[in-house]
Amino acid sequence: MTAIVSTIMAVFEFLQNMFHAALAPIFHPLNTVLGGLPNWVASVFGVGLFVMAMIWVGVFLKKDYVNYGRPHKSIWTDLRLWTCLSMMPHVIFYLYFR
Amino acid sequence: MEVVGLHPVDIVIIGVYMAGTLLLGLYCTRFVGNAEDFFVAGKALPFWAIGFSIVVSDIGATDFVAVAGAAYRNGVAAANFDWMGSMPAMVIAAFLFVPYFWRSGVFTIPEFLGRRYNSAVQFINGLIWVVFLFMMLAVMQWITADKLMFTVLGWNKYVALWVVAAVTGIYTFSGGLTAVVFTDVVQLVVMYVGGFGLLALSLWEVGGWSALQSKVLAMGPEFQDHFKLLLPHNTTGPFPWTGIVFGLGLVLAVAYMSGNQVIVQRTLGARTEWDAKGGMLFGGFLKSMIPLMVALPGLCALVLVPTLGPEDADRAVPEMIRIMLPAGLRGLMFAALFAALMSSISGTLNSAATMFLTDIVGEMRKWRKKKPLSERMALHIGRAITAILIVSTAALAEPIGDKEQLYVYIQTLLSFFQGPVLAVLLLGIIWPRATGYGGLAGLVLGVFFSFVLNYTPDLFPSEDPFLFVAWWSFVFALIVVVVVSLLTKPESPEKLRGLVWSSVVSDLEAQKALDERVSS
Repeated sequence: MTAIVSTIMAVFEFLQNMFHAALAPIFHPLNTVLGGLPNWVASVFGVGLFVMAMIWVGVFLKKDYVNYGRPHKSIWTDLRLWTCLSMMPHVIFYLYFR
Repeated sequence: MEVVGLHPVDIVIIGVYMAGTLLLGLYCTRFVGNAEDFFVAGKALPFWAIGFSIVVSDIGATDFVAVAGAAYRNGVAAANFDWMGSMPAMVIAAFLFVPYFWRSGVFTIPEFLGRRYNSAVQFINGLIWVVFLFMMLAVMQWITADKLMFTVLGWNKYVALWVVAAVTGIYTFSGGLTAVVFTDVVQLVVMYVGGFGLLALSLWEVGGWSALQSKVLAMGPEFQDHFKLLLPHNTTGPFPWTGIVFGLGLVLAVAYMSGNQVIVQRTLGARTEWDAKGGMLFGGFLKSMIPLMVALPGLCALVLVPTLGPEDADRAVPEMIRIMLPAGLRGLMFAALFAALMSSISGTLNSAATMFLTDIVGEMRKWRKKKPLSERMALHIGRAITAILIVSTAALAEPIGDKEQLYVYIQTLLSFFQGPVLAVLLLGIIWPRATGYGGLAGLVLGVFFSFVLNYTPDLFPSEDPFLFVAWWSFVFALIVVVVVSLLTKPESPEKLRGLVWSSVVSDLEAQKALDERVSS
């Protein structure tokens, strides 16, 4: 039993070393670049994700598709407006806590 | 830890709340006549009920305790899971995934995958989810009974466990998704009142927002990042900004909001597609308030109960309830915790029963070439599964919940699937050229790559790199699906009709055909 366990552990360790040798040259330089970025870059990406989602719904998707099945054509039932309104608190939070 | 004593007024408030929830749930029984009523509320849910229900199903009683604890240890970065980890993903779910699930008239996500790929994909996906939801139900019940009711309140944990199981089980058994959703609406209101009440009193006690900031920042250098949402990439903590934006915002959250039956089932019960999408957006808006009431009290606890220390941070909320809230409000706060618990249990229970019937029983009947179940029979079996699930998970709550490591292991294992499953689902919807072989290869190799990334040491600066594992396994699976699909035979246009994005967006005839299929 002990021999089986130690064999498995040896294979596991061998695989770990093999994958580390293959993947470390890819991820380590990436970590160095990302670790050196100033904090405002993080805020740009964070807030940018919310803004991009708003632009996708408001500009790129067809209005008919976004509002398919809406009960009546009032501005208050336009889901493009809903998207922006529901995103705004998040944008404010990410700008405030930066 | 000192037990929180309850005044008779508090006990009356909790009792009235439990009885009221049960009565409301039982009242919804009159709307259940067949399986569609039971599993997807007869496709009659308005957007506001969907939004309320999505939020409250997602927040459990343990979240109140655990998120406040994480905020005590790591600061507001703990709120990322409800902000970055929700709204962008809910927008993507609302406009990319939900219309297809809704228009195809399915009850479950695996059922959709079965139509797009094949029956085996549906069965395997359904089985994985049913096992996971079963474990989750047991652990949720045990942790709450043991860590909340016994440790905090000093109540008999077995009695508390069976009372909660009985109340939630009875109304979910009787009223199905309609009862789950409408009790969720009430439960969210109670949660908001209790949660914001605690936040307001905590801030009052600390001396206001500015005082909180200056007092926490004055506590030492290790607290300087407590008011930053996005922490540097090379932080050793669990929330580096790259992991939060890419791993959480673009992969884990999207997989959760689009592929989690407990969340998506509410939108499948919408009365129109507009309500389904609007419900997701409204839910996202309501969810933006959750960190204010679950994370900020954790920050206030740094000032009010500084003696706790990081290892006991999860005691922050119970301690503040004990020292700050007067009789009456204490009962309301515990009613809020019960609301969070019961809504999570009822939502998970209804979804597990739906998947068990649709993706396991239904598929096994197909393989044995038996006729599909009648609506009436499906309703009876659905109710029987609900009863069996709640009784068995309550009975097994202690043995499963006590082996918390097993649950953590299964949760970790499931997180390995999230990136690859999202890649397969996403390409299945937006790219008609994706084939069954491509999907299978992407899933298998993507999960293998997740294991490699997770068990190879020193690849990422974070000590717990699950966010990076999710992102890179997603990217890897995308590449595999594309390469293998291009090397294999394309699917026939007839099979893909109405199941891929381009055919539904541009083809009005396909939209009409799907509408007729749903309404027939």
